[in-house]
Amino acid sequence: MSQTSIRTARETYSKPNGIVRLLRQWDIQLMVLPALLFIFLFSYVPMYGVLTAFQDYSLFKGFLGSPWVGFKHFEMFFNAPVFWDIMRNTLVISLLKLIVGFPAPILLALMLNEIGNRTFKRTIQTISYLPHFLSWVIVSGFVLSLLSTDNGSLNILLQKLNLIEEPINFLSMPEYFWGILVTTGVWKEIGFASIVYLAAIAGVDPHLYEAASMDGASRFRQMFTITLPSILPVVIVFSILAIGNLLNAGFEDILLLGSNPILRDVSDVLDTYVYRIGIENSRYSYATAAGIFKAVISVGLLAGANYVARRSGNSLW
Amino acid sequence: MISEKKSLNYVLICTLIAIMVITGCSKNNESPAGSGTSESTGESSGEQPATYVLGDQPLEFSFYGHYDWYTMPNWGEDLATKWIKENKKVNVLPVSSGGNAKQKLSTMIVSDELPDVIWMERGADVEKLRSEGMLVPFDDYLNKYPNLKKWAGESTLNMLRSPDGKLYQFPNWYTSQPNGNAGYLVNKKIYEELGSPSLETTDDFYAYLQQVKAKYPDVVPFEVGQGAEGVDILSSAYAENRPYLFSAQSMMAVPVGNELTSVFKDPSFRESLQFANKLYREKLISQDAFTQKLEQVEQKIVTGQIAVYAASSPTEFGAKGNSALKAQDPNAGYIMVWPIHKAGLDKTKIFPGDFKQLGWNVNVITKNAKDPEAIFAFLDWFTGPEGQRTIMWGPEGLYWEGTDAEEAPLFTDKFTSDIEGRDALMNSTVNFQWNGNTVYVDKSKSKFESTLPPEKRSWETFWQSEITWKTQFNATEYVNLEPAGDSDEGIISQGVTEIYEKARAQAVIGAKSEDEVLSILDQAEKDAQKLGYDQLLKFKTEKWQENVSKLKQ
Repeated sequence: MSQTSIRTARETYSKPNGIVRLLRQWDIQLMVLPALLFIFLFSYVPMYGVLTAFQDYSLFKGFLGSPWVGFKHFEMFFNAPVFWDIMRNTLVISLLKLIVGFPAPILLALMLNEIGNRTFKRTIQTISYLPHFLSWVIVSGFVLSLLSTDNGSLNILLQKLNLIEEPINFLSMPEYFWGILVTTGVWKEIGFASIVYLAAIAGVDPHLYEAASMDGASRFRQMFTITLPSILPVVIVFSILAIGNLLNAGFEDILLLGSNPILRDVSDVLDTYVYRIGIENSRYSYATAAGIFKAVISVGLLAGANYVARRSGNSLW
Repeated sequence: MISEKKSLNYVLICTLIAIMVITGCSKNNESPAGSGTSESTGESSGEQPATYVLGDQPLEFSFYGHYDWYTMPNWGEDLATKWIKENKKVNVLPVSSGGNAKQKLSTMIVSDELPDVIWMERGADVEKLRSEGMLVPFDDYLNKYPNLKKWAGESTLNMLRSPDGKLYQFPNWYTSQPNGNAGYLVNKKIYEELGSPSLETTDDFYAYLQQVKAKYPDVVPFEVGQGAEGVDILSSAYAENRPYLFSAQSMMAVPVGNELTSVFKDPSFRESLQFANKLYREKLISQDAFTQKLEQVEQKIVTGQIAVYAASSPTEFGAKGNSALKAQDPNAGYIMVWPIHKAGLDKTKIFPGDFKQLGWNVNVITKNAKDPEAIFAFLDWFTGPEGQRTIMWGPEGLYWEGTDAEEAPLFTDKFTSDIEGRDALMNSTVNFQWNGNTVYVDKSKSKFESTLPPEKRSWETFWQSEITWKTQFNATEYVNLEPAGDSDEGIISQGVTEIYEKARAQAVIGAKSEDEVLSILDQAEKDAQKLGYDQLLKFKTEKWQENVSKLKQ
C-alpha cells in the first residue's frame, strides 16, 4: 500500500519535473539539436524510401507514380532458390565474427593492461589500431597478393619451410573463405576496438588491486576477479550492440575478398545480394524488401539481447 | 554565469556550422545543372539556322560515359581536343561515374539531372530511357548532316532503330568490314627458343604449354587474363563458325538451326571447359585466373612472364609488351598466331572473336540538352573524316599534312620517326573516341602501313591485317538479345548468369576430373531450367529472328 502510493507520488512528481528540468538546461539541450537534426534529416527522412518495397518501383515514374503491389517482393525473396544459402552464410559469417571478433579486443586489452613498460604498450597500441584506418580496398589488396598462388608470400613461405609442395589456391577454395574473412576482420579492427576496453580498465579503482595483492591474489587472479567484473557492464552493452548487428555480416570485405564466383556459395550474404540485385540489376523494390526483412530481424535480435541483459541490470534501455 | 554564456556561444556556433554545411551541400548539388542550362540556353536563343554550322557559335555540353572504368579526361588538355576547342569552339564537360556507373545513372534519372550526352551500351538501358521519352531522335538531323548516314549505311542504321522506328543511337566504331582483336598472343622469344613448334591444333597447343612449363618454371604457360577470359576464347577452337560470344556470359545462347539453345549443353563449351580444367590441374594456366586484377595481368605480359595469352583484345597489352621487351632484347617481343583449332576442323573457319556492324556502343542525346541539333552536328563532324583524323592522329601539321582523294590523311615522316610522341598523343585521346568510324580509320591506317617496310609497320596494325581481322565473325544478328533487368526474362537471366558464373568457375578450377566438369554442367543445366532458362532462350530467339529479318530488308 505505502509502496504503491510512493511510486505514484513519484511519477506524478517526476513528470512536470522532467519538462521543467529540460527547460532549465535549454542551453545544454540546444547543443544536442544539430545532432538530432542531422539524424532526422539523414536517417529518418530517407526512410520513406522503404515503402518502395511494397511497390513496383520505377525510376522514371518515381515514388508517387509507381504502382503498389503489397507483399509481392517479399514472397519472391522468400521463395528465391538462393534464400536459404544467403541466410545460412549471413548467420554463419556473423556468428563467426561475433565469437572470434568480439572477445579478441577484450583479450588484447587485458593483455595490454598487464604490460608494465609504457613505451612498449603505447607502441603496440598504435601499431594494432592503425589497420582500422585503412580502407577495405587496400586491405583486400594485401590479402589477395599475400594469398595468391603465383608469387603469393604465404605460399612461398610455406614452400620454403617445406610444409607444402604445391602452392595452395587459398582464394579459390570455399572451405578457406570464412577463415580468411574472419581473420582479416580481426586483424583490421582488433586494436581500435580494444580502446574502449582499455579505457574501461583504466577506470577501475586501483585500491581494489592493492587490497587484492595484500590478500595474496596473483596477477591472473586479479584479472579474473577484479578487471573483468569491473568492465563487465561495458562488455555487455557492446555485446548487445553486436547482436543487433548480427545480420550485418559485412559488405565491403565480402564484396572485395569473395568476388570469385566459385566462392558464391559461401560468400553471398544479405547485403551483397541486395547490392547485386538492387544496384546491378535495377530491381529496387525487390532489394528493398530484402533489406527490410534484414532490418526487422535485426531489431528483433537487438530487443531480445537487451531483454536478456536487463536481467543482469546492464541493459541499453 | 560566464561559462553558461560561453556554452551558449558554442551552441550557436555549432548550429550555424550545421546549417551552413546542410545548405552548402544542397547548393553544390544544384549548381552544375543550373549553370549548364543557363549557358546552353544562351546558345540556342536567337535565330535558328537551318543547319548548325560548327564553330560559328560556341557549343558546350556535358558528357557521361556509363561505365565503371571510364573517366573522361579533361577536354582541351591534349593536342587534339585543344585544337577542336580552339577551332570549333566546342567544349565538353565530363560527368564522372565515380566507379559506380549504375548507381550514378539511377541517381541522375531520379534527380532529373541527366547529362546532355550519355555514352553507353546498346540495348535494354537505352530502350528504357527511350520508352520514357528521355532521348532525342535523330531522324530530323540525319539528312542535314552528311557523315553518319554516309559512313554507317542504311542497314546499320536500321538495326539501331528503336521499336518506334526512330533513330536514337549514334554508334561507335560501326563498320562494314571485319574488325576486332580477339586471338592468341605468343611470347616470341620463348617460342623461338623452343624451336618454333607448330601451334595449330589444340593438341599442338597442349604439347607446347607442357614444353614451356618444363623449361621455364617461372613463366605462366597460358595466361587466361582477368576472369579467365582466355578460357572463353578457347571455346571457339572446337567448332567452325563459332565465335566465343555464343557461350560468353553476355549471350549464353548457342544457335542451332533457327533456335538459340542452352549453353550448358553446347559441345564446344563443354569440351573447352574440360580442356581448361585439364590445363588448370596441370598448372598450365594462371592459377589466380578468377581472382587476379587486370593490372596483374598487364604486368605479367609487359614483363614477358607469359608464354601465350588469349583475350578478346590481347593487342593492347601485346603492343606495350612488345615494345618493352624489344627495348631490352631485339629478338624478344610478341607475335600472334592463327587461332587454334581442334584437329580435323577447317582452320579458316575458326573465329575466336566477333564484330558487329553496329560497332561497340552508342551515344544518346537526352532531352536535357538545350540544343540537341548542335550536339548532333558536332558528333556528326566528329565521326566524319576531319573529326576522325584529328582525334586519332592530332591536328593537321604534326603527324599528317593534307589528305588524298579519299580524305585519308597523308602522314608525315614524323609519324614514323617520332613513334613515342605519336603514341603518347594517341594514348591521350583514346578515351575521346566516342563515335569511331572504323572503315575510315582502318583504311587510312592500312593504306599508309602498306607503303612501309615491314619493320616499320605498327605492331598492332600488322597483326590486325595479318590475322585478327580475318578471324572475326560477323555477329550483327546477335545484338540486343538482352532483356530488361526488371522484366520476367531479366530476372531469369540474372539467375542463370549466376548459375553460369559459378558453374564455369567450378568447372575450370574446382573439378577434380574431366568427368566432373560434365556433371557440374549437367547440374547447372538442371538448375537453370528450374529458373525458366527455356523462356529466356525463347525470348532471345525471337529477338534474334527479328534482327535477321531486319538485316534482310
